[in-house]
Amino acid sequence: MRKIILILIVIGSGFAAKAQRAGYAPITDIAKFNEQFATVAKKTETIKSDFVQEKDLEMLSEKITSKGKFWFKKDNLLRMEYTSPFQYLMILNKDNVYVKDGQKENKISTKSSKVFQQINRITIDCVQGSIINNPDFKTKIFESKGTYMVEMSPVSKALKDFFSTIDVIIDKKDYSVTTIEMHEVSGDSTVIHFTNKELNTAIPDAFFAIK
Amino acid sequence: MRFLLLSSCLFILAGCSSVYQNLQPDTGDVTAIEKFRPDFKVALYKTEVEVVGHHLSGLLLIKTLPDSSVRMVFSNEMGFKFFDFAFEPDGSFKVFYVIKQMDKKPVITTLQKDFELVMMLKQNPKTASVLKDSADRYYVFPQQKGYNYYITNATGTELLRMERSSAKKPIVQAIMKNYINGIPDTIGITHKNFSFTISLKRIER
Repeated sequence: MRKIILILIVIGSGFAAKAQRAGYAPITDIAKFNEQFATVAKKTETIKSDFVQEKDLEMLSEKITSKGKFWFKKDNLLRMEYTSPFQYLMILNKDNVYVKDGQKENKISTKSSKVFQQINRITIDCVQGSIINNPDFKTKIFESKGTYMVEMSPVSKALKDFFSTIDVIIDKKDYSVTTIEMHEVSGDSTVIHFTNKELNTAIPDAFFAIK
Repeated sequence: MRFLLLSSCLFILAGCSSVYQNLQPDTGDVTAIEKFRPDFKVALYKTEVEVVGHHLSGLLLIKTLPDSSVRMVFSNEMGFKFFDFAFEPDGSFKVFYVIKQMDKKPVITTLQKDFELVMMLKQNPKTASVLKDSADRYYVFPQQKGYNYYITNATGTELLRMERSSAKKPIVQAIMKNYINGIPDTIGITHKNFSFTISLKRIER
């Protein structure tokens, strides 16, 4: 799940530094978090989920809400399908991205993009549970009563151009990612909420095939 | 040989002539075109861009702010922002954000002028004129460079197309159709001198 989220982020957004969030305090037992996070990541073979994405345009006082479904399978297979208020399909299959927008289809190799390469690294780190050691980000971890928040600030210029921070909210109960928040320097943000999660259900590889 | 020379001369002369040269003055009121000016209180469009073999899709949000400026934000479906522009009430244009890959003056100026054409900005009735041909009426608004043409049917009741033109021929053609409460449902922009089209289809939220 963490992997997917990060991939999404990659494909997507920009973020901003901010003061510590209300309700959150720096984590007290970071070793426990690291261990649990890595353990759960290791056990997670597939994720199936609904999502709601909110693009918040602060200056315009406007929020664009879209919904869809998403599927993830180890390693590096991701399918994200927007169903409302528009149709849009994105499949990530290892080094390749397929996009279907209406009748238009597009294929992109992530090997041609440094940012995509960095994202792949992030993905691998997530699966291995070592995301907090990724040199592309400076990471701080906070906790509230029911969740952890991993606040990731990009270090590399390439990623800084896209976002200022990415906050990943993790449920303390099962260490699953519930929300990804991508904050732009301008104050705009993109937040993806994951609901109706199903872990480790069978998803055939063909579901992620790029033809 | 003489035939070849003659053909070449005719071809060159034809190339120099203006597609607008046969237009005749008409009696219409230049301000009549204002009824087609879109009223973008707030509108979201599914957007497709084709530029020299590349395809780009996303969402374009257009909103008129309380200060009467019109903001235009284009992002991809996953929220990644490409640009954030403002068209100010005094006619000025402001770039709030543009991604590095698009941050080039010709790109930004082209988008600015294309959307000024569509939003019917920079229309000075004092320098404008109304012309006609055998079928249509042309509302002509001189710009700093070139002209913006708004072409309606002969009675001025239907906006057929818009053109951003040099003195001789259109550089950009645009359409705007199916208005609902002053907001067009469909907008299309096509460049004539290179492969670049923008297609907008309104999304109900």
